[in-house]
Amino acid sequence: MSSMQKIILVGKPNSGKSLLFNQLTGLRQRVANFPGVTVELKSGKFDQFELVDFPGTYSLKSISQDESIAVDQLQQAVKSPDTSLLVCNLDATKLERSMVFALQVQALAKEHGKGCVFALNMMDEVARFGFEYDVKALSAKLGSPVYAISAKTLIGISEFTKALKEHAANPQSASVQTTELHDLSYVKAAKQLAEEFGIKQDLVLKRQTKLDNFLLNSVLGAVAFAAIMFFLFQAIFTWAAPLMDAVEAGIGFLAAGVSSLLPEGVFNDFVNDALFGGVGAFLVFVPQIMVLTLIIGILEDSGYLARAALICHKPLSLFGLSGRSFIPYLSGHACAIPAIMAARTIESPRKRLITMMTVPLMSCSARLPVYALLIAVFVPDTSYLGGWVNLQGAIFFVLYFGGIITALIVSKVLNIYINQDENKSDLPFILELPTYRLPHWRPLAYKTLNSGVYFIKRAAPIIFVVSVVIWGLGYFPSNGNLQESYLASIGRFIEPVFEPMGIDWRYAVAILVSFLAREVFVGVLGTMFNIADAEENTAGLAEQIQADGFSLASGIALLAFYVIALQCVATVATLKGETAKNRYSWGVFVAYGLLAYVVSVSIYTILA
Amino acid sequence: MTIWDLPKQSRAQISGLNQNISSDLRQRLEEMGFVEGQIVQCMKRTPFKGPLVIQLQDCIYSVDKALAEQVQVNAA
Ligand SMILES: Nc1nc2c(ncn2[C@@H]2O[C@H](COP(=O)(O)OP(=O)(O)OP(=O)(O)O)[C@@H](O)[C@H]2O)c(=O)[nH]1
Ligand SMILES: [Mg+2]
Repeated sequence: MSSMQKIILVGKPNSGKSLLFNQLTGLRQRVANFPGVTVELKSGKFDQFELVDFPGTYSLKSISQDESIAVDQLQQAVKSPDTSLLVCNLDATKLERSMVFALQVQALAKEHGKGCVFALNMMDEVARFGFEYDVKALSAKLGSPVYAISAKTLIGISEFTKALKEHAANPQSASVQTTELHDLSYVKAAKQLAEEFGIKQDLVLKRQTKLDNFLLNSVLGAVAFAAIMFFLFQAIFTWAAPLMDAVEAGIGFLAAGVSSLLPEGVFNDFVNDALFGGVGAFLVFVPQIMVLTLIIGILEDSGYLARAALICHKPLSLFGLSGRSFIPYLSGHACAIPAIMAARTIESPRKRLITMMTVPLMSCSARLPVYALLIAVFVPDTSYLGGWVNLQGAIFFVLYFGGIITALIVSKVLNIYINQDENKSDLPFILELPTYRLPHWRPLAYKTLNSGVYFIKRAAPIIFVVSVVIWGLGYFPSNGNLQESYLASIGRFIEPVFEPMGIDWRYAVAILVSFLAREVFVGVLGTMFNIADAEENTAGLAEQIQADGFSLASGIALLAFYVIALQCVATVATLKGETAKNRYSWGVFVAYGLLAYVVSVSIYTILA
Repeated sequence: MTIWDLPKQSRAQISGLNQNISSDLRQRLEEMGFVEGQIVQCMKRTPFKGPLVIQLQDCIYSVDKALAEQVQVNAA
């Protein structure tokens, strides 16, 4: 197989490379409105070429280790004979900053005899300000082809696509012409270009400054921050509730229908208990995960996250973290794995390490089903302030908050014990605040839907298998008498370990198997309660647990356990990949397991 | 005087970077727009000596005290 010719896509952070990449390849790379979203190279097929999306950088000269990896990869790629063309993506609203890096890349392309074209992105915004670029003159001055495009509204994309194919097939057509501009230093040349061609800054920054006056105000800004965070967690509950009820009713209806069609007997019991009880119990939570993703997505694309990082910088630095830790922490509430990767943009290796090790304490969406189930068992569904504040939602907030507080305490402790030497390579905190933007609905809708699909795809097979095994062990040998089943014998064997938490063997089994994936907890309990439930009524799992009786003290202990414990193999693997040390991956796994147990037992002992 | 000493809303002109910073960091800061003669404006100060928000040409940056103290300015 002959290797495909490569086209390399580079540019300043947050200039719209990944959105352009997605439009050209049809892939779905992460796009968000803050610098440092892409942290790894991503390739996709564009026509007969391979298009490679690079992490954004301000310069070819790296100042941090992670940057140097990206820059080295770029140098390698430019040298490679497989590479035919470089595309420098420019943010047309920030021409000067974009140009400093783009000119360096152009020089590199020239040095290695590669073609180089400029994509002047964000034309839609420029047009909104009533400004027009003189693309021809800019191109002549630069000595390379320039294409004005918008990756968002697709202005100029079809022409660009066509031109790109031609240039890639014939790189000579885009070879760099030397002009008088190239006598200047990059910084000076960029300044000159911006003065001659660029859009006036006051125009662009006016609206942004107005919003910042409010959102970064010492008092109002802090109130707004708290309100946004509270709203986020509240919405997971209130917005998703009707959808969840619908899913639950649907599953109940389906279960009743199927069960009445099948003849009485073992198979009927199996379908009812393992399939509808186990797998169904967890499907109920898909709407919540989608709502969470939607709101985080809106925040990510609005430009607010960089502001939040700035607001949190000082408080977080008291715990040995950086303001930039905020972004991994927030996205950790959806899933720890991308969040750990996102920590790469943190300026100090030491703060990055501490952030990575504490991200698993953020209550990720896999914990949602467990929280929601236990909250539904114990907390009445009352609303205040005309439905804006819901008691169950507020408890949710408390649980999330518990995870964050634990993370801060652990960070503080780690900060004392992690080798201070690593401080040497610390860089100061500097963060570019992006322009506020209305979120782009299409990637947002895709992200939201995909989170549901991904959640089901990832957890459903495990839950299915576990449910079947648990059902088998729980149904036999005495055909549906759970208390005399094989499972009960196994469960009673491990029961003593979990007794100090005030839970019986059924919950002990559920905890143990949830080390495969947290959501399994709900599925397994669903299966067990359905076996035990002789009448096969289709009441929700929460009602079944309520009817069975479960003490508040052990409920709180159990919740605390799930807040802290790291029950996710994929997270451990990611930690291992990012730190290359067992100490920071399996060590963290064991440490959080023990901590969860100790905290949970203490809570039960105090409350009971 | 450094950027850190700028009162809110005031402007100043960058006169240079401190000698003691590493050459890599110096170059990066220049590439980010911290060059002699450039006008900076302090947009916001945050409580408890938190990061500043500054406007430098086409970019708005948030910088912490450690960095702000490395950039010398002349009151304009
Ligand atoms: N209005 C407008 N917004 C755009 C355009 N292209 C990208 N954006 C937005 O700009 C932001 C950054 O886009 P990304 O594609 O993530 O930028 P990137 O260059 O890949 O950023 P890094 O991966 O951090 O280097 C997102 O909010 C996009 O929706 C455009 O043409 N017009
Ligand atoms: Mg990107």
